[in-house]
Amino acid sequence: MVSTSDFEPDVFHAISHRARREMLDQLTDDERSVSVIASHFSMSRPAVSQHLRVLLDAGLVTERKHGRERRYRLVPEKLAPVRDWIAHYERFWDDHLQRLQNHLSKKSEP
Amino acid sequence: MTNNTIQRELLLPQSQQQVWDAIANSAALADWMYPNDFEPRVGHPFTFQVPPKPEIGFEGLTVRCEVLECEPPSWLVFSWSVAGPVIDTRVSFRLQPEGNGTRLFFEHAGFDLTQPGGKQAFGGAQYGWGQMLEKLSTVLSNQGIHENQP
Repeated sequence: MVSTSDFEPDVFHAISHRARREMLDQLTDDERSVSVIASHFSMSRPAVSQHLRVLLDAGLVTERKHGRERRYRLVPEKLAPVRDWIAHYERFWDDHLQRLQNHLSKKSEP
Repeated sequence: MTNNTIQRELLLPQSQQQVWDAIANSAALADWMYPNDFEPRVGHPFTFQVPPKPEIGFEGLTVRCEVLECEPPSWLVFSWSVAGPVIDTRVSFRLQPEGNGTRLFFEHAGFDLTQPGGKQAFGGAQYGWGQMLEKLSTVLSNQGIHENQP
């Protein structure tokens, strides 16, 4: 299989798991250590680390050592492909709602 | 952050019935959306046929829908399924009289980028979905209003 590791669907893959989305949500306001992140989940610490690894590989978070622990920080601009994707649909509906209005004004002309 | 809903609110000068007739009617929908076999009946499955545009390599697209709720003249909900993350999303229109006109609350909800099957869908995304969307977006911006274009 061709490697597409730098291709944006990795971001989609990374957010395709509920736990990873929740991890990202936790990181929206500040960086957090693994133990703080893990305290929100019932899964094992290694499982949490594995999910964080996926987020790290997708570039959605960065990691830095702080004393004995690793802290994770969100890289919000990496979510741009997801927002772009929704933006396609927003444009779709803005166009069509405009068309609806044109349709209505055409109909209500005397 | 990763579950998204598109919402719009419009104040239209037409009466609630006129607006209803424009959204809950196959011929009207064909005018401002796409050719379709809509019927205002709960449980009715229908499709929108987005026509191909060979000049930009867009092969056309079928949007699969089903009427989920229909309460004339104020409330219409249908499902909206294409592919990838757009399976069983929900499009709704709520109409409310306001002054001499009608307030329209539009919502497209349920883009869960990770629904069951989402992973596979995004696997598919790697070879086609993103490209398809890009083409669809070009098609859409080439018709109708261009005000969002640079």
